[in-house]
Amino acid sequence: MVKFLDYLRNIFAKDKKVNIGLYGHPNSGKTTLANSIAHDWIGNDIGQSSNVPHETRSVMKQEKVVIENDDTRLEFDIIDTPGISTKVDYKNFLEYGLEEDEAKSRAKEATKGIIEAIKWLDDVTGVLLVVDSTMDPLTQTNITIIGNLEARKIPFIVVANKIDHSDANIDRIISVFPQHTVIPISALKKEKLDDLYEEMFKKFN
Amino acid sequence: MNGLKMDFISSEALENASSMEKIYMIIERVKKGNIVVMEGGLTNYERTELIETTMREIDIENFVGIDVHTLEKDTTSFLGFSKKKTVVITIVGPANLMKTVKKQSNFLSMVADITKSDEVIS
Repeated sequence: MVKFLDYLRNIFAKDKKVNIGLYGHPNSGKTTLANSIAHDWIGNDIGQSSNVPHETRSVMKQEKVVIENDDTRLEFDIIDTPGISTKVDYKNFLEYGLEEDEAKSRAKEATKGIIEAIKWLDDVTGVLLVVDSTMDPLTQTNITIIGNLEARKIPFIVVANKIDHSDANIDRIISVFPQHTVIPISALKKEKLDDLYEEMFKKFN
Repeated sequence: MNGLKMDFISSEALENASSMEKIYMIIERVKKGNIVVMEGGLTNYERTELIETTMREIDIENFVGIDVHTLEKDTTSFLGFSKKKTVVITIVGPANLMKTVKKQSNFLSMVADITKSDEVIS
């Protein structure tokens, strides 16, 4: 009887759509990571990344990404979400050389993007929480995202990004999130992405 | 007037409020330039709703969002098997006022730029 139930469960599990959301602060490297994953497995980029915060202001989706190794296979859709923050000040964008009108327009779009990212929490089945290793990880944004994922029982991996920077501090992230899986990578330099894929097989399959 | 108003709210004052009542109570005060200091914390749902509502209320020129900080303490489960952090104080203020925050495990230091307090919508 138990075997029969497992059999049925496996059938339904295979039919279940896997939506993996990339969440985190603006400029933590979500789109760079989404592009690296897409580039590795389907040969194209998903979106445009830049050093100006809130470059991604609406959710971008790449369907049917398949990652595999000798033993395992994972098929999923990548949901690259706009960075979540508690504030959006257009004046910050002026420092990056944007004109005032362009900065204001970007700020308005960013607020809508953050709402859209939060709404997508209802539809993701797994999450890569992308954290900038050079910054303090103990922020209200990260706490809020993790609290939501735990409450919804959505599996997630804390991706400690930007380890290629000399001021990256992986130990700080591990000490702040000791009960969660932390995988250090550089999305830009494509360092240690294999470690991330191995963990994705475990968490999201 | 360059002044800073801080509103201290006890947990008793909030215990009968719905989540949305709490959120709007915070946002309305913060939009006026006040810093809200609440006893206790918000639920996961309320924290998410606070961010979402803040994004809807941002008007680019006058209200650019919020800064949220918390102080926690360790609490042990009934049988003492597990520990978790419980928020004892939540501080929410206008993002353009709250400038410097130094946080340690049981200490929080904050500097508010009161020269900006008259720029906040009232």
